[in-house]
Amino acid sequence: MPVLQIKNLTKDYGFGRGVFDVTFDVNEGEVFGFLGPNGAGKTTTIRHIMGFSRPQLGSTMLNGMDSWKNHHIIQRTVGYLPGEIALPESLTGTQFIRMMAQLREMPDMSYAEMLTKKFELVPSGDLKRMSLGMKRKLAIVTAFMHDPPILLLDEPTSGLDPMMQGIFIDFINEEKERGKTILLSSHIFSEVDATCDRIAIIKDGCLVSTFVANDLRHNESKTFEIEFATKEDFERFREQREYFQKISIISVKQHRNQLKVLVDDANINDLITLLADYKLLFFSEIKFTLQDYFMKFYDHNTTASAAMEVGTADVVS
Amino acid sequence: MFNKTIFKQTLASNWKLWGIFTAIMAILSAMVIAVYDPKIIQNMMNMLEDIPGIADMIGDRMDTMSLLAMLGQSFYSMQGVILALIFIIMTANTLVASQVDRGSMAYLLSTPIKRTKVVRTQALYLISSVFAMFLAVTIVGLFTVQIAHHGLWGTNYTKDIKAAAAILNLDDAAVEDDLTLILSNEDALKAGADARYIAEDVYRVYLNQKLTSRAYDAAAAVLGVDGDTVRADLTLIRNNAAALDGAAKVFGLDSAVYATMLDQSIAQNSLSDEQSKEMQSKFLAGISAAAEILNVDAADLATDMGQIKANPKALTAAADSAALIPATAFPQGTPATVITEQNEAAFLGIINGQLANDEISLDNGIDFNVKDYLMLNLGIFLLMFAIGGISFLFSCVFNLSKNSLALGAGIPIAFFIFQIMSQVGTSLEGFKYLSLNTLFDPNSITGGGTFWPQFAVLAALGVTLYAVGIKVFKEKDLPL
Repeated sequence: MPVLQIKNLTKDYGFGRGVFDVTFDVNEGEVFGFLGPNGAGKTTTIRHIMGFSRPQLGSTMLNGMDSWKNHHIIQRTVGYLPGEIALPESLTGTQFIRMMAQLREMPDMSYAEMLTKKFELVPSGDLKRMSLGMKRKLAIVTAFMHDPPILLLDEPTSGLDPMMQGIFIDFINEEKERGKTILLSSHIFSEVDATCDRIAIIKDGCLVSTFVANDLRHNESKTFEIEFATKEDFERFREQREYFQKISIISVKQHRNQLKVLVDDANINDLITLLADYKLLFFSEIKFTLQDYFMKFYDHNTTASAAMEVGTADVVS
Repeated sequence: MFNKTIFKQTLASNWKLWGIFTAIMAILSAMVIAVYDPKIIQNMMNMLEDIPGIADMIGDRMDTMSLLAMLGQSFYSMQGVILALIFIIMTANTLVASQVDRGSMAYLLSTPIKRTKVVRTQALYLISSVFAMFLAVTIVGLFTVQIAHHGLWGTNYTKDIKAAAAILNLDDAAVEDDLTLILSNEDALKAGADARYIAEDVYRVYLNQKLTSRAYDAAAAVLGVDGDTVRADLTLIRNNAAALDGAAKVFGLDSAVYATMLDQSIAQNSLSDEQSKEMQSKFLAGISAAAEILNVDAADLATDMGQIKANPKALTAAADSAALIPATAFPQGTPATVITEQNEAAFLGIINGQLANDEISLDNGIDFNVKDYLMLNLGIFLLMFAIGGISFLFSCVFNLSKNSLALGAGIPIAFFIFQIMSQVGTSLEGFKYLSLNTLFDPNSITGGGTFWPQFAVLAALGVTLYAVGIKVFKEKDLPL
């Protein structure tokens, strides 16, 4: 039985916002990526899994238990990292960790201390005066400290510096090794790509695609970009390829003598044999990325793409 | 039912606000108690009486300005209510709506604690903080009463008793028990009168009035009825030998002598309404005449009749125009000077009686009824319990602080304003039906009215509102 089952989850907030008929499962030990721009419905879905909201239609089940009705029971097995960190004021980080441990009736703090060290968290300060990064680290430690088998992570790396992002992604992979079931919502391709077994793409509250990440990585056809040294070679190749049904030209840049070809893995040798007769300036593979795949769904929607580009820029900076 | 850890955390983040409000309220109420001086209040009331219109408004409250009544009309109607209101509005919003709005509620709910338990714990904090607030105010108030006015625990003796006891070289208690000791010793009488800042003759009347009152009570005890019954019908004493003996003993008199005194009182009491009205108008005529001589306003003079005593010309004028004893009552040919003299004595007697009465009501003003004081505090707590229920309900209903505050603060403040408006004048009196605050009426507690049914309504309303708030929070969607 899947650890996490979302069945026909529907919540209409009006004005086209909300989630509509979302269905997916996450199996034990799986890292499931939940990809979509801001406002697509990722947080709304997690809100229902946590039992904060009651579904209008459908259900969210954790270990076979309805998460709205049993919200307090499921919390024993769940670690939740909210997308927006809002910590109670008037506490220090240490007091906050201690309070959460008491509420969870945790007898042993050694794992929490290990996490504190790992993420270089300094919890002694006042929560009000903590930097955003420090608050995120505190939230991460709080989410993981009771070593729960299920993790719900809502945009976990936003606000972390690139080094911490790296440490966090490594940590997620370690947790995956330990058999944790993880739902990772994100708009950052690199971290989804680096951690997830399966990925779902959500757009305007509807799931548009659910796929196994490795399928995308090991695509059976490749794209190559080629630049010819002379105009003659360029034109000759374009005529020649009529003889090769196995190679298809997908784009051409006339003034630079460049073109892109798509070829099945099985026919790469034929392409190389053919190209041996030409004088080339370069020949390189263009990798098909998660981003390319994702953009297919958002091509018509410029605002959504813009949002995603901001997301990627985030990673680069 | 409740969660200790959450309660501790709520306490840690809210106790400062509680401390500030509780301190301000305790100090305010202590100040009102400490500065209470029955003499000042009496003068103030007399002044107000002279202003046309105001007298009608205060009307029957005139005589009830004891310390408790004053507390009820000041602190327990205004400052105490508005301060507690602000505290409740702020705290109720912080406890639920603001935490949902900010998102920090997500942390409490990502632990294995039921939603109902979380919100019940928050409700418990609000209720117990308001309770603790008024408990602190009550305790500080009681201590202030003891320190500023004494008599709360241990017996308190008025200044004149202490002064007289010192002269008589007796115990305070012995003198208090037998006031005739003062009456029979000139020095003690003088010391007692000085201690009260009144003339000896007034003090003598004062002591006699007290003795008369005690005699009635003693007789009532013998008869097995309460004092008021006896005061309404003095013949009860006259017709019962044992009661007569008991009453006479208070004066240290022989039954027969006391019986004559009692007969006079009975005769006075049996004056018809018309007769007493006539006496009153005669007396007022005297006051007017004296005012003319003294060149002051007659109304001012009525509140300070000591002035007449100090000026013989004024007294003569007053006695002549009042003519309390009509000339026809004297034998034919009685010299006018004798008639004036007799009338002066009668007029003085009335003035002294009035002044002595003032002294007695001063004594009563300080009389502090602890039970009534506790009822005042219980009442304001119950009112705040119900109002807290309103604020808490809206804090549970709304996800945004601003919405929670709009109703959770707006409604209680509207109630408060309606209550004030309803007291301003009769044309706005209808507003009292729009206000919850009307259910806590300090005057009915200090003035002996009914208040338990109102208390029960407030308690039931509070319980209902809190229960609905908890239920709503349990069922609602949280945008966390």
